[in-house]
Amino acid sequence: MTFDQFLQYILSGITSGSVYALTAVGFTLVFSATQIINFAQGQMVMLGGMMGITLHEAGLPLWACFIGAVAVVAIVSVGMEEIAIRPLLRKGVLTQIIATVGASFIFETAAMLIWGRDAKPLPPFTGETPIAIGRATVVPQTLWVVGLSIVVVVALTIFYRKSLYGTAIRGCAVNPEAARLQGISYRRVVVFTFALTGAVAAAAGVMIAPISFMGYANGTMLGLKGFAAATLGGLGNPVGAVLGGFLLGIVEALGVGVVSAGYKDAIAFVILLLVLFLRPAGLMGAKVVNRQ
Amino acid sequence: MLELRDIRAAYGKIEVLHGLDLTVAAGEIITVIGANGAGKSTLLKAISGLVKLSGGSIALDGERLDTLSVEQVVSRRLIQVPEGRQLFGPLTVAENLALGSYSRRRKGTPVTERLKKVFALFPRLEERKGQQAGTLSGGEQQMLAIGRALMAEPRILLLDEPSMGLAPIIVRDIFATLRTLNQEGLTMVLVEQDARIALSLAHRGLVMERGRIVLADTSQGLLANPEVQAIYFGQRAGGRAGAGSGGGR
Ligand SMILES: Nc1ncnc2c1ncn2[C@@H]1O[C@H](COP(=O)(O)OP(=O)(O)OP(=O)(O)O)[C@@H](O)[C@H]1O
Ligand SMILES: [Mg+2]
Repeated sequence: MTFDQFLQYILSGITSGSVYALTAVGFTLVFSATQIINFAQGQMVMLGGMMGITLHEAGLPLWACFIGAVAVVAIVSVGMEEIAIRPLLRKGVLTQIIATVGASFIFETAAMLIWGRDAKPLPPFTGETPIAIGRATVVPQTLWVVGLSIVVVVALTIFYRKSLYGTAIRGCAVNPEAARLQGISYRRVVVFTFALTGAVAAAAGVMIAPISFMGYANGTMLGLKGFAAATLGGLGNPVGAVLGGFLLGIVEALGVGVVSAGYKDAIAFVILLLVLFLRPAGLMGAKVVNRQ
Repeated sequence: MLELRDIRAAYGKIEVLHGLDLTVAAGEIITVIGANGAGKSTLLKAISGLVKLSGGSIALDGERLDTLSVEQVVSRRLIQVPEGRQLFGPLTVAENLALGSYSRRRKGTPVTERLKKVFALFPRLEERKGQQAGTLSGGEQQMLAIGRALMAEPRILLLDEPSMGLAPIIVRDIFATLRTLNQEGLTMVLVEQDARIALSLAHRGLVMERGRIVLADTSQGLLANPEVQAIYFGQRAGGRAGAGSGGGR
């Protein structure tokens, strides 16, 4: 592999890594607020992409497709929580997790019935003229994906670290009863978290659709990659999730270069298994699930 | 101000509070003493709405509280300092205090003023405002728990065993602060196992046993009561220490 090829693989890794990172953040935010692993997270990304494509076919400008898809999937995510997860509160977290698996099948089937079996593209946000970075080239959409992902991650970080409501959500995650005694509604935190993670997933879906097409079945693999990335970063650790996402994307892309494209998906799962065997707490280490 | 009438509460099928009456007047400190498992914490949880009543009623200035959610009770400025402090361990001191103001973030005195007041009461908290709450000493944690509650500008403060696990000298400090707050007009319901120090602070006291109130009197009355002395000041009541192990469990 020449250096130019290497650079090209890294760039492609960062692009898919951005989507894995946003999906992983979704897993992590839901997990720390509720202890639920939302296995419909990947389908949310898919729904975002499909919604964006549909709105574009309806003649809306791209920015409106983006906002529309984000809003619709946020509502779908809250709806899933209300209908499939909340009623199972008393049955325990494991039952709720299984409900998210059920929801993911429903979303996939519904998407197939609505949009058919063929994957569709979305036009790039700003043209297709490749841009040179060193001696590698990227399409402008790559910069959109990476740039918007960074914006989303920074915005989320500021929200969770600096705002009172973000702090309230973190408080809820460590001690729900104490949070209620401060007047923080746990219900509202849960609804908010599902809306937010739905929105982030949809944003990822719309961003990536111009590069890799989107079809009803794409959610499963995106979800599993996102889950692998979240585990890599230590589930419940948002910074780890973002790093895990980029790391996974890059390793996967290099793997394609060194080994073969046929093994692309397998690489993610080999990494996932290695992490689970060797460092169950994730690469970021110590911060395992720890609740009072 | 606060009125509890014949309240009953159960965990599952097991009733823990068997019909309690309690009236708290504005500006007073009332203490509830009792052995482990008497139902003291359950009583405070029932007032805050964490435990739903299976009978009776709770009213604040005539408004029914027992039908409200925890968040709604908190917004009426009935604020609890729960047993074991229940701080947000990984969050900083400043963040814990900020969350204390959550229920009154848009009302009342500006949050920065409240923060100043809490830091004036507990200067140790200001020195450690960037530190994670879980790494504070026991005494500092209790100060933070009280400070966090004060950030909500309580009308009534519900305190569940603030002396638990603390050295006597720290307990004295904390109780001195509580007295100051009361002199400024803050009403309190104080649950304690340390009957002596609780009664020294409170105006009135109630003795709880197995989910019932068995004695109610002024603090002086209870301090002078031979039965209370025997059971709740066991070790210090000289010859009657034997009776203490019976009731004190
Ligand atoms: N969550 C719960 N589920 C079931 N039973 C409970 C629960 N919490 C308390 N109890 C029971 O209710 C009774 C009263 O408990 P409570 O915590 O109110 O006592 P307490 O007077 O505060 O005791 P302590 O002084 O040890 O704090 C006890 O018998 C206890 O076992
Ligand atoms: Mg108790």
